[in-house]
Amino acid sequence: MEMRDINYDRSEYVETASGNRVSRRTVLCGSQNIVLQGKVIIQSDAIIRGDLANVKTGRYCIISKEAVIRPPYKKFSKGVAFFPLTMGDHVYVGERSVVNAANIGSYVYIGRNVVLGRRCHLRDCCVIEDNTILAPETVVPPFTRYSGSPGIQVGEVPECQQDLMIDFTRSYYQHFVPKL
Amino acid sequence: MSNYITGPDVVKYACSCGLLKPITRLYFCRHCLELRCGFCVCHEVDSNYCGKCCENLPSAEARLKKNRCGDCYDCPSCKQNLSKRAATVGPKNPEDPKATPRKVYYLLCLNCRWSSRDVGIPDQAAATGSWPERENVHAARLQEIIEMYKGIVLAEKQQKMEKDKKKQRRFMTFTDRTGITASMLRKRIGLPDIPHPLLKPKPKEPEEAVAKEEVEEFPEELLTKPINLNEITTLEQRLNLPEWQPTTVDKLFPIHKQVSVKRSQRCRACEHNVSKPEYSPTSIKFKIQLFAFYHIPEVRIFTVEPLRAGKQCELLLKFSNPTQHQTVITFLPLFPSEDSFASKEIKELVPDEEVPSREIVIEEKQPPSLPGSQPSSLLHTSLSRTPSITVKPRPIKQAITANVELPTSNFVLLPRDDAAEFDDSGDTHNIQDDTKLVVWRKSNKAVIRLNITPLENLNIGDEVVVGFTMQHIYVNTITAVESKEPQRYNNNVKVFQYLGKIVGSE
Amino acid sequence: MPLYEGIGTEKLTVVMDLGAAFTKLGFSGEFAPRHIIRSEVTLKGSNLTREIYSYVNGDDLYDLLVEFLHMIFFKYVLLSPKDKPVIIVESLLCPTIFRETLAKVLFSHYEIYSLLIVPSHLVSLAPLAINTALVVDVGYLETTVIPICHGLPVLHAWQALPLASQAINNKLRKHLHSCNIKISEVKQNIIDDIKVRCCFVTPQRRAIQFLKSNSQLNYCPDLQYPLGGTKIINVPGKIRETVAEFLFEEDNDHQCLSTMVLDSILKVNVDLRVKLAENILLTGGTVMLTGFKARFKEELYKQLNSSRYEKLKLSKFMFHSAPSKDNYTAWLGGAIYGATEVLGMKSITREYYFKESRLPDWPNMKDNSRIQ
Repeated sequence: MEMRDINYDRSEYVETASGNRVSRRTVLCGSQNIVLQGKVIIQSDAIIRGDLANVKTGRYCIISKEAVIRPPYKKFSKGVAFFPLTMGDHVYVGERSVVNAANIGSYVYIGRNVVLGRRCHLRDCCVIEDNTILAPETVVPPFTRYSGSPGIQVGEVPECQQDLMIDFTRSYYQHFVPKL
Repeated sequence: MSNYITGPDVVKYACSCGLLKPITRLYFCRHCLELRCGFCVCHEVDSNYCGKCCENLPSAEARLKKNRCGDCYDCPSCKQNLSKRAATVGPKNPEDPKATPRKVYYLLCLNCRWSSRDVGIPDQAAATGSWPERENVHAARLQEIIEMYKGIVLAEKQQKMEKDKKKQRRFMTFTDRTGITASMLRKRIGLPDIPHPLLKPKPKEPEEAVAKEEVEEFPEELLTKPINLNEITTLEQRLNLPEWQPTTVDKLFPIHKQVSVKRSQRCRACEHNVSKPEYSPTSIKFKIQLFAFYHIPEVRIFTVEPLRAGKQCELLLKFSNPTQHQTVITFLPLFPSEDSFASKEIKELVPDEEVPSREIVIEEKQPPSLPGSQPSSLLHTSLSRTPSITVKPRPIKQAITANVELPTSNFVLLPRDDAAEFDDSGDTHNIQDDTKLVVWRKSNKAVIRLNITPLENLNIGDEVVVGFTMQHIYVNTITAVESKEPQRYNNNVKVFQYLGKIVGSE
Repeated sequence: MPLYEGIGTEKLTVVMDLGAAFTKLGFSGEFAPRHIIRSEVTLKGSNLTREIYSYVNGDDLYDLLVEFLHMIFFKYVLLSPKDKPVIIVESLLCPTIFRETLAKVLFSHYEIYSLLIVPSHLVSLAPLAINTALVVDVGYLETTVIPICHGLPVLHAWQALPLASQAINNKLRKHLHSCNIKISEVKQNIIDDIKVRCCFVTPQRRAIQFLKSNSQLNYCPDLQYPLGGTKIINVPGKIRETVAEFLFEEDNDHQCLSTMVLDSILKVNVDLRVKLAENILLTGGTVMLTGFKARFKEELYKQLNSSRYEKLKLSKFMFHSAPSKDNYTAWLGGAIYGATEVLGMKSITREYYFKESRLPDWPNMKDNSRIQ
């Protein structure tokens, strides 16, 4: 079905030059390490921990309410080190999800309440369904659908997922309009 | 609100085999000009790759390694990936100043904390490729038995062949004429004798299995000792290791990870590939991608008024044209009464030379008489591969619960223009639209108003299903290569919408 | 690349044993199946899981089999089915609609090259390299006994009873519900798990004691089975010991597992009876229950003493142990057959199938008459 308009309070969101719409109620730690490529929506109460390591998103990403983007760490004999987290283009992260993954590809749909274990790798064009918990260091191959706790592959994703996600994120962005 | 990725499918198209699928799961064969779905295409394995290390496995190697990755392991207790952990072990000889602490590796599951140390596998010095493998205890005996059976069957087959050969003797043999057999002649010449085939030493046959009176004893301690469920393997854990099926947890071995496959799809009628992915496992591109999403106009439900039984409700549908050519959409009734059921009209708009292959396609479209498939016709045998069997389509099993008032006029959908999204100059196309039909229009999209009337006899909570046939002009760009005008065809697609449930009746 | 498959290496044949509960899959010439999976399909649209054997009619079975075989070929076996030979191991008492629909799916939908169907009781003897034995297959839906003499199944001596895993599951479920009233419906695989891990078959001497009303014997200890992390099912010791008892209790027709074997031997020629009794092969997953084999042997001897088997002049029973686990012995036989030339000689090719549009079958007079 066609998406509905989502209205937001004009005073709550900041729109940058490259089209990023960031809510003021988010917790953006280390904002100098966070790179938002363009036309990214970060909704209220999201948390992005840029203070631990670099966080880089692609274009048309959508980070929903209360989501947590947190770079993963690796224990070495001499202590812990945090790895940068990169997200590709056209990624949708659902509400209240916790993303600890090392690397998320493009055109990925992450549902609500998802917990991605640390140092997961999500390849392009995969779908993580709602309420999934992925074990640490899981690699999700392209065109697969993961669900359950611990997450296992439950199905496949149609081949036109790339266009579907482009369409989805673009229309979400277009319908994300300020209240008049 | 449902979308193609998560929610239930509200708009479904009828594939040529009779199944209803959303447009994302349909393919469009450009040679037969038909919709195909996952059920009616022929799937083929294209390449093997490991899901974890994302590396290709050539098919010969995959066969050798039994379709498992050599390097990646799965946890036997929860089937998640095992990761390699390093631990340092002190030097072998503590007094030797040159000995350095070595690194040893063990496997650990990050989900259930199972480790290779639990089963007693020693830590390995190298990170890859040196984990011990177990062999089937019966392997030697079974190999003997297989060889024996192979020999027996081969001997039987040869005997049959010789019997067939012997029947065809028509001429008198040398022996019959002179009375001298071949072995006598050989002895006379001095050549060594060929032993009779039956006297050839037979290969050693394995002994037959011996039955024993004793069977597995009943373990008496089960009667008194309480069992600890954590130490007994579950059925799933046992079946993951079919050869050993251990009953206790300390015999669970790590399993090599199974490889995944990339599939390509092929239309059964014309043997052309409909979808072919790239070889690289991480790539999401396709060498051939004939998806219906890119060729057939997409229908989406924009809004629908609350549905009441017997009352006329308004339905707004959004049509979008994914192709690079202009198309005209006409509405037709779902099951036209004058044409035969599920037959396709192929009317050419531009009068061109008849392409002979079209004739064969029309002939094959027979009205299906029985549900469930019977092979209907075998195509001409091609030299390279055995022909696919075309299967009779089944009737569409979807009851329509609302009548739609089909608009008599048609409307134009402009071609898709990717640059138009950046161009804010507004619609400059002078398209005269029937304002009652077309509510809104922008580049290649248009919103259409339809009036539907759910049937009288529906109760509150019944699902309302509406259907119509959408006729659009499809421009076939394949034949444009031969410097002919691209041919335009009227393509009929049956579209079904699931509009939700009836609320209230007055 | 698909072009070069098969050059330089032997042609791999897929061997499948489609049981009612589990399917064993693998390749010919190997010593164990690659996978043992449940015979059920998850339908994409509705997320329902349906067992293959719960079909309603032929069309339903067709769709279920298409979905199931798709999963088998592209998730487990990882081979394109087109133009490949396939071996199916099936029971001689398999319903005709099932095997005909399976052949239709394989030939018209998946376009395999040839199909070889081998009877499970006969090929179970292949890993043992013997010709004569009495094969007892205790599966999920039913137990079947068919003697094989000199390499031929003696069909008129067949015996079949629904005393198998499904019956044990139903009994277990009923008892557990009566003992744990608070627990609602328990799923199939939990019942399977409880049966496999907790239950066993007690020896005969204890079973006789339990039947007496004033038995003093204590049952084995109870067990707490955790369910879903929050609930606990109490599995009383009595159920653990006695859930499989009904397999050896005679029903109204005076039949049970042990009588099936003796009845079957009775129907065979007198000269082969002793040989059959001394070559008994137990196959099927249910046989792997702890204590089953020992109890089966005891019951056979007990039944031998009853009056109606006086004609049987048997003194002892001897059992074979196959070089495999009991739940895939039949599969192993099929794999051995597949490694030989029998595949080329006796399989049904696609041309033959489309000419005849049916499989050759032993009940069909066209196939079993002696006139060639």
